[in-house]
This record gives sequence, structure tokens and C-alpha cells, in this order.
Amino acid sequence: MKDPAKNKLKNKSSGSERCVKSVPGQAGKSGGFSSLLKKEGVRSVIASVVCVLGGILVGFIVLLLLSIFAENVSVGEAFSGIAIVLGGPFSGGSGRDILFQLGNMLFQSAPLIMTGLSVALAFKTGLFNIGAPGQYLMGAMGALLVALSIPQGSVPSFVIWILAFLTGVVLGMIWGSIPGFFKAYFNVNEVIVCIMTNWIAANVVSWIFKATGDRFINIEETKVNFIKKTSYNGVATATFGLDKLFANSYFDISIFIASAIAILLYVMINKTTFGYELKACGYNKHASKYAGMNEKRNIILAMAIAGALAAGGAALWCLNGSQDFKWDTYLTLPADGFNGIPVALLAGSNPIGVIFSAIFLKYIGVGGSNLAAQTSFNEYVSPLIVAVIIYFAGFSKLIKDLLAKQLKKAAIKADKKDSSGAPPAAETVIEDKTQDSASGVREDVKGGDHE
Amino acid sequence: MNENENNAASPYVIEMRHITKIFPGIVANDDITLCLKRGEIHALLGENGAGKSTLMSVLFGLYQPEEGEIYKDGKKVVINDPNDANALGIGMVHQHFKLVDVFTVLDNIILGIEPNTLGFLRKKEARKKVLELSKNYGLNVDPDAKVENITVGMQQRTEILKMLYRDNEILIFDEPTAVLTPQEITELMQIMKGLAREGKSILFISHKLNEIMEVADRCTVLRKGKYVGTVNISETTKEALSEMMVGRNVKFAVDKAPSNPGAEVLRVDHLTVRSKTHKKNAVNDVSFTVREGEIVCIAGIDGNGQTELVNAITGLEKPEPGSALFFCGEDVTHKSIRYKINSGMSHIPEDRHKHGLVLDYSLEENLVLERYFEDEFQSHGFIQFGKVRDYAEKLIDGYDVRSGQGPVTLARSMSGGNQQKAIIARELDKKHKLLVAVQPTRGLDVGAIEFVHEQIVASRDAGSAVLLVSLELDEVMNLSDRILVMYEGEIVGEFKPAETTVQELGLYMAGAKKQTQKGENA
Repeated sequence: MKDPAKNKLKNKSSGSERCVKSVPGQAGKSGGFSSLLKKEGVRSVIASVVCVLGGILVGFIVLLLLSIFAENVSVGEAFSGIAIVLGGPFSGGSGRDILFQLGNMLFQSAPLIMTGLSVALAFKTGLFNIGAPGQYLMGAMGALLVALSIPQGSVPSFVIWILAFLTGVVLGMIWGSIPGFFKAYFNVNEVIVCIMTNWIAANVVSWIFKATGDRFINIEETKVNFIKKTSYNGVATATFGLDKLFANSYFDISIFIASAIAILLYVMINKTTFGYELKACGYNKHASKYAGMNEKRNIILAMAIAGALAAGGAALWCLNGSQDFKWDTYLTLPADGFNGIPVALLAGSNPIGVIFSAIFLKYIGVGGSNLAAQTSFNEYVSPLIVAVIIYFAGFSKLIKDLLAKQLKKAAIKADKKDSSGAPPAAETVIEDKTQDSASGVREDVKGGDHE
Repeated sequence: MNENENNAASPYVIEMRHITKIFPGIVANDDITLCLKRGEIHALLGENGAGKSTLMSVLFGLYQPEEGEIYKDGKKVVINDPNDANALGIGMVHQHFKLVDVFTVLDNIILGIEPNTLGFLRKKEARKKVLELSKNYGLNVDPDAKVENITVGMQQRTEILKMLYRDNEILIFDEPTAVLTPQEITELMQIMKGLAREGKSILFISHKLNEIMEVADRCTVLRKGKYVGTVNISETTKEALSEMMVGRNVKFAVDKAPSNPGAEVLRVDHLTVRSKTHKKNAVNDVSFTVREGEIVCIAGIDGNGQTELVNAITGLEKPEPGSALFFCGEDVTHKSIRYKINSGMSHIPEDRHKHGLVLDYSLEENLVLERYFEDEFQSHGFIQFGKVRDYAEKLIDGYDVRSGQGPVTLARSMSGGNQQKAIIARELDKKHKLLVAVQPTRGLDVGAIEFVHEQIVASRDAGSAVLLVSLELDEVMNLSDRILVMYEGEIVGEFKPAETTVQELGLYMAGAKKQTQKGENA
């Protein structure tokens, strides 16, 4: 571990500096862990892991209680049950089953990565995008309409694919910018507008598909609440044989597209002037305005991009070619839209982290369905367990803060122990809480993320 | 002075012995001992963050010390919260008053200990006691006026009455003069002396040396959380105190050559800004100019439209129709903030946490807050972090901005003084023709104030125009080349610092006098 005492910081102290106290290096026995904890990123990862473990523990307790009280379930099944959930696709049975489930899991992760990115980007700008489900629906509709409308053969099918994808993205962008617009110009809370646009989207999509009738609705099969698969029109995401490799699953390259977008987003947020502005607006919109940034434009842009991301996720899902899209969406909003929120929270709004947290959520989800298939627990138990684990993802911020607090306490203890012993390593100054009336006005407008 | 000494063995009414209070990463009070004699006014002097307020918060029960004991009349006491402090007769007037605006003075005074019969208030009794107290101590208040309608001075007297009503013997004043006009300060000094004569013991937190010299009997000096010493005021001088406080000699007067104004840089023409809080205009038909190489200072009591005036000039607020703003001859009334920044307007904002800094950004990111988009720091939309780092290091060196980890320190974790230095570095290093500085030294200690003043004068000498808004009359007198007094949104007087006095300015600031508007525009 890095010895904090090595930090080549000058220990200045002179007249005008106030409240200066060295924090002695705690390099000794406890040094390793606590100096590791000092890294913000490490704390985020630990917090997320702790949350997941907590969720698993509570999920296990639920299983245990159920097995005790339900007559047809033995207590032993609680243990095998939690193992099945944790096994994800690997508890799927034979090797081929495992491959099949793994392939599907990776395919299904792509839309979730996209909605996770959507929520995470909004968090970075200090906005709460709970409108991802609506943006997702608009994206699905846009992609499906274009993919099924352009006659096969008139242009190469990959061109149709790209056009369909872009149409979905543009629709999502427009949909996302609506709450952004209201927030920027009328200061209407984006959560309210997002929720309304969700249901408007759900009804608009149902209405448009119903109005177009059997042009898009799949009536060949007896059920009539699904839209035709895009493969009917020869449009499907490239697989490069991945589907064959994974036991004829749905696996295609969408997860790689989503991951590439995540990396691009990471670069945009952290390396560009645009990302710098977005974050500044998120952290402190007053200071952004003071510095001449157009905070209204940035809010709308952030929401538009968030909408585009969620819609892109929907397009990736629909354009796989073998997915049934249920068109009477006014009944329920897509779960992947909402699940973007725990994905972003679990990832601490880091775009790269979103890739992993989305895959993890899908992994547990597959484990959940295996639970229902392989034990006497009924099919309602598995979503419950998955929900408990997702629920705990929301605690990551709390755990992160607790870790930081713990760290401070340790620093104080070490401080007291060797008040003169170790050479001072770093100079730490606390905020002036005495005179500065300016400190009374604190910005509280923040998203869930505080990196 | 200690007539009442017979009612206890100890000569001290309060003894705080070897108090140590630790916050994460910092020892705010390190083995501090403070003894308060009965009936004395004891000043507590120190720079920002020297630990004055922390020490008083320990006495008032807001913080628990890690080490050390507190004795009242020679008996050891433990003060867990302000209620304990109250029970021991310790009262505090906070820097920002804790009053309910929509209640009357009387209601505020009895709040929390309302005399009642079965839940029904008995206000008559309370009123009698309040009137008696205000007569005895010369605290002129109207018990039936609502707090929102009375002056800051009367609000402060209400706070004092609150303490007296609770029969407090030990009165803590946390920077009581920060919000007052010179006349009100004189009045407060008289009141404090009166209270001490009546046997109350007073702890008086301040970093204003003049006031301490005038009113205090003894003074305890803290520096960086450590005890420096306790001196009798009659045996010391202002210079000696400041040296104890800062640890070196400090210049009080600002060295500056006479100003040599050049071309007009800023012209404010019939500017009107609507108020967000009341029906009257916050700024009402204000006109003035600022020229190259001069420091024009807007003096006034807080809340008389200075904030709105500056916001309208810098673009944070929109002026009403009919207002006009010329910057270097160009009409910029409706130009964007960025346009103004790029054409050479620098702004040291009043509220450094709200406007001046993105607290969750690092120091280097904050130093390019207005320049990140310039070709120097970006190429093709990508920020050149290497160049940002070099630039930040240059400013940190040049302006002596101190922080834990240099350029990558989170702004939030920096001290108030260094945050301010960072803003000043950013605003002054940027090419500018006009510097708008609003209370640039607020909350800073003498050492930092000296530095800020030097920088502002240097900026003026380099040819830029400076518009300074300050609530501190000393600063106004020291720094400005021309003074405009603002009262209720209007310019009520224009002065040269050499031709006026603090007292005269005070009268204009309080609205007691008004010059007829000088017609620089037809």
C-alpha cells in the first residue's frame, strides 16, 4: 500500500493560514486498508459489494422464513435456493443450458446497460431521469416502425437496421428533452414531467400500433398483442455466430455496442469541455451560470442524451430480430427502464461501472428464474428475491458515506495517539464554519451521485 | 470591578481549562484555557478558524470537548447541550440572529419559556418584565413590533433581552458588530459596558481590533487552535494584539498611489432591478460610471440593493426595461454573461460557495471555470488536462493558494480564505478591464485581507477599473478612490474618502441624510 507519508506535500504553515493540522500517516498496522479506503473509487466499489452482499443475506432470510412457514418447501431448499440464485446462469443445468442462459443474459444486459447509462448521465448533471421507461418505449416504436416499413431488398438490411436504430434514438431524444425543457425554462421538477411523459408514451405507442392494425401487429400467430419480429423483414442485429456459439440463444453484438457507448460516454463526461459543463451544472448551477455557461441548454441537452440512450437500449432489444414487442404498452411500463435507476446507483453513476452492474442484475435475474424452475418455491418468490437485492443497491451511497465517516474517525484516533510522533504528511484544512455566512447557502441540488 | 466577588470562592465565573476539541483531521482547540472574571468584558480574538467560535460552542454546549473541564463559580460542570448552558446562566447572541421574523419582539423573547396557566399564555407578566429589563439596561425596543419590520440593531437588542429575560449571567456575543452601522456599533458598545457594570460577564468574539480596544477589559488571543495569551487591554496596543493574532506584523493602511482615472469603462445608466422579495425596486434608477485606474466603492448596509446592482451588471439578473449598461462604450445591457466575461469583465462574487466555486470540482477545475473552452485549454472539444494543470500550478504559486493536495484538492475541502484566494487568482489572472468585487474580504482574517487589498490595488494600477462593494467602512475608506453610498436601492451620496468621515457615511447608509442626485445624465 502507498504510504501516505510519502505524499510529497509541503507542510506549510504561516501567518495567514488557519486551522492547520497535520494528519499523521497511519502507515503502521492499519495502514494498508485505510489508505486503500482513501481512494474514492475503491470506496464506491466496496460500498456496492457490501450492498449486494446485504441484499443476498436478506434474500436468504426471506427464503429461510418462507421455507419454514410453507408446508411444501423444506428448509434445506432455502440453502440450495440461494445458491441457485447466486449461480445465475451457471445454475441452469447442463453445459448447453448454461451456455444458452449465458448467451441470453448477455443479450438482455445490453438494453439495461443503456437505460443505466441514461440514468447515470442525468445524475451527473444533477437530474433524476425517471423517464427512461417512456423514452425506451418511444425508441422501441421508432425502431420497429422503420425496421418493418422499409421493404426488404430495397436497401441492404444493415442500412435498414441503422436507420431503424437512429429513428428510435431520435424519438427518445425528443422524448427526453421534454422534461429537460420544462425543467430549464419553467423550473418544473423533472421527476413529475418524466412520470407524465412515461404514461403519455405508453398510450401513444399503443394507440399508434392499434391504429396501424395488422400492418405491424403479428396476426399469424394466434395471439395478437405482439408486433411482428423485425426478422420478418430480414432486419436483425449482427451476431457473427455468437448465437450459434451460445447454444442458439439470442446473443448478438448489442452488448458490445452498449459497452462501446458506455466507454464513449465515460470519455465525454470526463475528458471533454461538454462533459465539464454538464458536471458543473449538475454540481452547482449557480456557479455554472456565473461562469457564463448556458445552464438551460445543458439541462435540455443532458436530458436529450439520456433519452437517446434509453431509446437506443430499446432499439437494440427490438432489432435483435427474434423478440416479441408487446404493443399494448399502456398497461405496464417496461421494467428495464426503471431498472436503469438501481443500475446507475449501484455503479455510482460511473458509465464503466454501469456495464458491470447491469450484467450483475441480469445475472441475478436468471438465477431467480432458475429458482422457480428447480425448487418448490413458486414463481413469485424469485422476483421477490431479485427485488430485495436490487433494493439494497440503493444503499450504496449510505455505505459509501459510512465508510468515509469511519475513515475520518480512524484519522482522529491516529491523530490523538501520535500527536507529535510521526512527521506530518499532509495538510488538511476544514471549512471555516465560524464567520463565513456564505457557507450557509449550500447547494443541495444534486443527483444520487457524489463522486 | 469585582464587587460581587464575595458570593463565590473563585474569582472567575467561568473557567475553561485545557479544552481540546478535535474535528476530523484538525485540532480546532488545542489545550485552551480561558478564565472569565465576574463583571468583565473579555474579548476573544483570533483569525478565521483560530478556534474562537468552536471554543464558544463548547461553552454553549453545542460541541463536546475531547479533553478539558469547564468550571462555573469554581465548581466543575458538564454542558451537554444549550439547555444545560441556559440553566447555568450562559446565553449567546449568534452572529446570525435566531429570531422568528413574523413574531413580535415580545413573542420572540418569551419563546421557549412562555409563562402560562394551563397552556394559556400570560403575556402581561412577561411584558412587564421585558419593559423593566429594557429600561434598566437601556435597551430600547418596541415589544409589539414584528421582528421583520425592525432594524438589525433592534433585532440584536431583542437577542440581548432574550438572554436577560432568562436571567443569564454570562453573555456570549459572536461577532456582534459585523452587521451594524457605525452608529449602532457605538450604541452596542455602550450597552455592553452597561451590562458589565450591572455585573454581567461578557465574552466578546471579534477580529476587529478597534472594537476590542474600546470596550474590552481583557483579551484572550487564539492562533490556529492554540492559546497565545491573555492580556489586559489597558496595557497593550492594537499593533501588539494583531501581532499576537497573526504572528507577524500586519499593515493596516493600504499602500496606494493616488488614482489616475482614464477612459470610462463602465457606465450604468438609469438601471432599475425589480426586487424578488418586496414590491419596491431593489435597484431604483441608478446611474454612475467607473473609469480606468480608479476604485469606485459602493458602501451601504447589507440588503440595500448592492447584490441586485452587481447581478444586473454582471448579467446574473435581468434589469427592467429602460435600463442601460455600457462596457467600454458598447451597449451590453442584453449581452450574455459569457460575452461579458470574454470582453473583459471579472467578477469576485459575494457568495463564493454559491457562485464562485463548484465545490465538488478540484481546485484546478475551478481555476479554469471561465476559460476551459479557450483554445489554450482545449482542442477539438477535449480538455487539455496537462495544460490546465500547468496553469493551475502557476496561479497557485502566484497567489499563494494553499491546499492539501495542490491542484487536485477538492474545492470543498479548502479553507474559506484559500477558496477566496483561488477565486481572486482566477478573476485577476484573466484579462480584464473591469473588476467587480463584492465583499472580497468577507470572513477573511487580517493577513488574507491585506493580500486581497494589495491585489485589488495592483489591478487598478495595471489600468483596470474596479467596482468594489463592501459593507466594511474601514475597507471602503482605505481602498476606494470614490465612494457611492447606496440606501434602499438608490445612490444617496457620492464622496471622496479624504473628504468624508466614517460617521458621515454612516448617516447616509442609515438613510438619515441624502444628497440631491448628482446629474451626470440629463
